[in-house]
Amino acid sequence: MSRRQFDIRLSATIASVRVVLRKASKFAGAAGISAVVAGCATNAPQDTWQPKGPNSKLIDDLQQPVFAVAGIIGLIVAVAVVYTMIKYRDRGQPIPEQTHGKPALEITLTIIPALILAVVSVFTFGAIFKLAKTDDTEMIINVTGQQWWWEYDYPVQNEFGITQPIISSGQLVMPVGTKVLLRETSRDVIHSYWIPALNGKRDAVPGRIHTLRLEADEPGIYAGQCTEFCGLSHANMRMEAVALSKEDFAKWVANQQAPYVAPAKDTLAKQGEEVFLNQCVRCHQVNGLTRADGTPAIAAPDENVWSGAAPNLSHLMSRNTFAGAMFNLLSKQCRDEVWNAPSDVVGAKYLAGVTEECLNQKDLRAWLRNAPEVKPMYANPADLAVSNGKYRGMPYLALSEDDINKLVAYLITLK
Amino acid sequence: MAIIERPAPTVPAIVTPTTTYGLLKRPVSATGWRSWVFTVDHKKLGIMYGATAMLFFIVGGVEALLIRLQLAAPNGKVLNADLYNQMFTMHATTMVFLFVMPMAAGFANYFVPLQIGARDVAFPRLNAFGFWAFLFGGIFLNLAWFLGGAADGGWFMYAPNSGPVFSPSNGVDFWALGLQITGIASLTGAINLIITVLNMRAPGMSLMKMPIFTWMITVVQFLLLFAIPVITVALFLLSFQRNFGAQFFDVAAGADPLLWQHLFWIFGHPEVYVLILPSFGIVSEVLPVFSRKPLFGYPFVVFSGAAIGFVGWGVWAHHMFASGLGPVSVAVFSLTTMAIAVPTGVKIINWTLTMWSGKLWFTTAMKFSIGLIVLFTVGGLSGVTHAVAPSDTQQTDTYYIVAHFHYVLFGGAVLGIFSGFYYWWPKVFGKMLNEKLGSWNFWLMVIGLNLTFGPMHILGLQGQPRRMYQWTEARAGEGFFNLAFWNLIASIGSFVLAVGILTFLINVLITSRNPQKAPLDPWDARSLEWMTTNPPKEHNFDVVPTVHHLDDFFHQKYEEDAATHTMKQVRTAEEIMAEQERNADKHIHMPSPSYWPIVLAFGLPVITFGVIYSHLISVVGGVIVLFAAYGWALESSTAPDSDFETNTPGTGLDKVASNHD
Repeated sequence: MSRRQFDIRLSATIASVRVVLRKASKFAGAAGISAVVAGCATNAPQDTWQPKGPNSKLIDDLQQPVFAVAGIIGLIVAVAVVYTMIKYRDRGQPIPEQTHGKPALEITLTIIPALILAVVSVFTFGAIFKLAKTDDTEMIINVTGQQWWWEYDYPVQNEFGITQPIISSGQLVMPVGTKVLLRETSRDVIHSYWIPALNGKRDAVPGRIHTLRLEADEPGIYAGQCTEFCGLSHANMRMEAVALSKEDFAKWVANQQAPYVAPAKDTLAKQGEEVFLNQCVRCHQVNGLTRADGTPAIAAPDENVWSGAAPNLSHLMSRNTFAGAMFNLLSKQCRDEVWNAPSDVVGAKYLAGVTEECLNQKDLRAWLRNAPEVKPMYANPADLAVSNGKYRGMPYLALSEDDINKLVAYLITLK
Repeated sequence: MAIIERPAPTVPAIVTPTTTYGLLKRPVSATGWRSWVFTVDHKKLGIMYGATAMLFFIVGGVEALLIRLQLAAPNGKVLNADLYNQMFTMHATTMVFLFVMPMAAGFANYFVPLQIGARDVAFPRLNAFGFWAFLFGGIFLNLAWFLGGAADGGWFMYAPNSGPVFSPSNGVDFWALGLQITGIASLTGAINLIITVLNMRAPGMSLMKMPIFTWMITVVQFLLLFAIPVITVALFLLSFQRNFGAQFFDVAAGADPLLWQHLFWIFGHPEVYVLILPSFGIVSEVLPVFSRKPLFGYPFVVFSGAAIGFVGWGVWAHHMFASGLGPVSVAVFSLTTMAIAVPTGVKIINWTLTMWSGKLWFTTAMKFSIGLIVLFTVGGLSGVTHAVAPSDTQQTDTYYIVAHFHYVLFGGAVLGIFSGFYYWWPKVFGKMLNEKLGSWNFWLMVIGLNLTFGPMHILGLQGQPRRMYQWTEARAGEGFFNLAFWNLIASIGSFVLAVGILTFLINVLITSRNPQKAPLDPWDARSLEWMTTNPPKEHNFDVVPTVHHLDDFFHQKYEEDAATHTMKQVRTAEEIMAEQERNADKHIHMPSPSYWPIVLAFGLPVITFGVIYSHLISVVGGVIVLFAAYGWALESSTAPDSDFETNTPGTGLDKVASNHD
């Protein structure tokens, strides 16, 4: 081949490669755009590729190039294999030379992936240590897992108006733009706390305290799910993180610390309070609730429940969920209104709490009627020999429909 | 002693011993069920391992289909929460311990002695014991289904959820004790195969001339030798906690439940390589044969396998990135996990380059091997995304992980096993599996597994956690990536996969009824196991071969033309066989069948059964074990009238095989 011929052929090859590359990039671009469109529109609420806070963004910025490089390498391998299959298929060629390999080529092909991984590891190291930082914490929330719900306990933090500890469950409420540090533990088995939009997961291990950074950029509700298998109702152990603007968060704190308001005399709710005192208060605390003789009603869940705790129901109707966030306190329509609200009004909608017309009566009544039937739990008295007669989860209480009516009327007053 | 006399180069006459040795008269049947139950022949045991593992594969597969039925739609009602938890626990346990491991043990048992030119393994009775212990352990594990419910804590059985309060049925007891028994099987198998490989190779076969499958099996046996004791300790702690009130994982008593996780994964990660390396070995045999070319970079593949065997011990905590280890540990294990990707990548490159400039023959075995290269790569690359620890905290315990390890284990280990089926079927059963059905088998399985496990990448990245007996529409989303659609696709895919495996079973059935015998060397193969009849004689080789090359059989058939570097055939397999028959050893000394392995193995589940129900039963089991051990010890493996002076000089086989088992 003459020099000129070679040049012509080379430039033709380059041109054709360029065309292929241009087409490929167009195709990739289109695919990318459609993926982004599909991604932004209506993805699952636990999508791990839609970070809504600096910690999850840090992870996403790290993982996206890794996914891309992995995808390219996968493609190269697939193309190489298919190309080899086509090119060297048996076309009657003689048995090839019995070559045993080319060490130089192999060493090169060993070093290249090693170098790629070395680069990835540098960025990985940086992210690991950034995500483990705790010295820039602005707010602490203690999170305790148990079968099958999460308890949130806000220690006194005067700068946020938290002048007495707040104990809540079902929804983690936090201010936006604030570096929140969760201190996690568990009262029974291992659970794992995960709000994909805000950070990766961290196990809640009994006897240990693990920390997890959370920070949300914008007000909104972010879904999560327990991700360490924790027994029967693992699938039903959900959580929601509610990020509120700082003003809204202050309002939420004020409401959580508001004193107990007993229902007016001679109302159905007052009768419900009595049922509550007779039945529910054995495990469930309502701060400020007093017995008829004026003594404070103190719950003793440790006597009845293996993990030693049951959700504190003070201000229950300020939450949107119950039973480990398995069920909504809000009817579907009202809930959608809160969830789909734009970030500037979601706070106000959330703080409105559960009104009578928005209450999800169906699930709440089913729960009161027979909790273990709607959520699998170890609550059959016949099976409690191994746990010294203590329940894991809420038992069947044999409440009459009348009692349930009264209880619902009472619970709706716990604003 | 069964002594095979070879007075003439025709059918060997089996001389049955008349003398009684030990406590019981020796079983001597050469045919019928007794010839299987009391056999110590590595080939029969290999087939039994394979058949039993296949049965458990079907059991585990049915469990998988039930899981996918449950998850096909939101709020599935096929299984309740309790049953679902048992189902995924037993699916994993069955597939790992009762399918892939024993299937690899079956391949190893059958082909390692043949590949190294030996007449059996070093300790034939121990080999039989290993099989029976595995079978009884597997049955014991599954007995729990009928005795109050199977284990429900996940195959990882994290403490304290595995404790007596949180898992009150006997399922976890059956699980822990059953795995102890299968662990004993794995340990004895490991010791046996290591000693076989180190001591019983044919003359001239240095370690670097050893077939790559045997190499990978050897690495696996070392992994087992060191990993099984770790899980044994962990299982003892668990059993003591559950059955004898110990408090190893009880936080209230000052324990740390992360202890279990470390023990489990120090075993569990090497275990991953125990599952995959045998298939790497199979593929490394199949690709050269059907590329008509030696394995590219044999030493690189050997050393990368060994490197995986070493580095595999330093990556366990990558299963625990979310468990709160602290950043330094996480960073270290992140780095080691990336490091282990390198030797794995080496294998992918070497396999591709083995095909490069070859003469490719796309048999079903070859298709499965190529399928492994591509699909294992997918699993390997998603594995790299987990090595990036912060990324892993988003992915761990989601379906993304389920996708990852099914690409590695199904796309890797299982495709390798099926490649081995098609490649070695004529060797083992003397008949060729139907290639046309094989092609259906391959494509249905590959399409099925991609439909099943491909969507799980999406499900996981969309935030669907694992081990949930139901998923809810509230968390499903509505766009292209919505969980409802992809869960349904995965469930449909699982049934396509099942049809693919059914195709294989049909193929086996059809082949067994086909009278046509396989040719002597159907694939123009390269290694020693093909240098004998199909199926091999009881004593494997008429003459123990002397080895000069890697792929010695190929080099006996072909010689290189010095000028053109092309290979030309100088001898056929038939000619080589005929020559062997002419020079056949006159006296071949084979180990004899024995009652004791099965009796000893039977004592083990009796002991463990007693641990759960009544210690008195354990005593009975103990007596059975002691009786069998006593009988075993008294049973001379060398008959006084045996022809100890066999004329197979230099093999060492006569001494090792018959004296020390």
